[in-house]
Amino acid sequence: MSYSTFNRKRFDSLKEPMFFGENVNVARYDQQKHPIFEKLIEKQLSFFWRPEEVDLSTDRKDFQKLEQHEQHIFLSNLKYQTLLDSIQGRSPNVALLPIVSLPELETWIETWSFSETIHSRSYTHIIRNIVNDPSVIFDDITVNAEITKRADSVSKWYDDLIELVNLYNTLGLGTHLVPGKGEVTVSMPILKRALYLTLVSVNVLEAIRFYVSFACSFSFAERTLMEGNAKIIRLIARDEALHLSGTQHIINLMNSGKDDPEMADIAQACEKEVYQIFMEAAEQEKEWASYLFKDGTMIGLNAEILSQYVEYITNIRMQAIGLDPVFPTKQNPIPWINAWLVSDNVQVAPQEAEISSYLVGQIDNDLDDSDFDDFDL
Amino acid sequence: MKTQSSTTSKLLHRVLLNGEEIIVSEDEPLLTQLERAGIQIEYQCREGFCSSCSLKLLRGNVAYPVEPMAWVQSGYLLACCAIVKSDIEIAFFVE
Repeated sequence: MSYSTFNRKRFDSLKEPMFFGENVNVARYDQQKHPIFEKLIEKQLSFFWRPEEVDLSTDRKDFQKLEQHEQHIFLSNLKYQTLLDSIQGRSPNVALLPIVSLPELETWIETWSFSETIHSRSYTHIIRNIVNDPSVIFDDITVNAEITKRADSVSKWYDDLIELVNLYNTLGLGTHLVPGKGEVTVSMPILKRALYLTLVSVNVLEAIRFYVSFACSFSFAERTLMEGNAKIIRLIARDEALHLSGTQHIINLMNSGKDDPEMADIAQACEKEVYQIFMEAAEQEKEWASYLFKDGTMIGLNAEILSQYVEYITNIRMQAIGLDPVFPTKQNPIPWINAWLVSDNVQVAPQEAEISSYLVGQIDNDLDDSDFDDFDL
Repeated sequence: MKTQSSTTSKLLHRVLLNGEEIIVSEDEPLLTQLERAGIQIEYQCREGFCSSCSLKLLRGNVAYPVEPMAWVQSGYLLACCAIVKSDIEIAFFVE
């Protein structure tokens, strides 16, 4: 079947599955098969923010004062986050829009992906503020071995799905001879399996891979350094928490078989691979922590503590989609991070926020009599 | 004449967690009451969408004044928005 941007068939979209049913035709939100996606859209829209609203002028000075190994930690995390959001700013659209069958889910995917483009724009805003030539940072993303290793494991699931869906939309189901690849079989179970594993990998990306960077950013801010950056990261973390809720819903709906009974069988059949995706990502993030701290640690953070946190957060995320936690770490080794991750006091205007460098009504006790010399009543 | 203007509920319940017992009321969500008792619970959004504060509900009942956005697995509760409605037993992770 080929994709149609306006499907002329008459059908009841409330009876369609989330994916691989009819292409969506009318974008209507008065009725929903899964109202959760409408709620996610509303929430995401209420979260809208612009990077330029966050003042980073102090961060520039802070960055110049950082030790060299701390600059390495800061910049490496920025590069990794830039990579992750470059992928997330386009891939949900490219991979999922051609196969989605519910209007509310279609719009959630677009809203979700759009918010990732805001994150990408915020990295440009941060990088422009701290270095004179942003190209030095951006150009390294495609050549740095530590980053590209991660790019491969994040993008391969999307790329496999996109390739299969392209074949499905041009040639249909069956076995096709693909130049350079040989025979490729496209069947509904194969497509659904590729979709399910992609969603798991996206869930891992948004729910685990970002968190090492978050921890480092907040650790700087705990020392009142790079606070503008931390403010942006808090906004990003709030968005990511919503996105992971979206993927958890899609995955749990699939697992339950309520949306598409065949999807529940597929989910069960690839359970082993799902565990592998989670464990591989956790191992990679632990390696990443070692790379970050290769030249020195930060106050309150080192590779070992961060690795424990990766294990802990992986356990939490696994449990959220009905998997058994696999790691021994059952307590958060950096509980202070939650006060930074909490969404309810994320605000953009500096006078409203709890940024320690913006304190109103402070008392300066460092005065002597000469300070009152030009003071007349 | 009665001068007491308190509208707080008198309903108290026992929460059993790792062998420790905490008394909670129906006035506030479980998370804030556990924190006040000095128990560290994972959280992020504190408004029911991120599922970080999901805890295993081994026994008893909880209710949600507003349905949370997060998917709540069967046999689990969301501490940030769950109101305890009976004596309950909870755990951090499935053992």
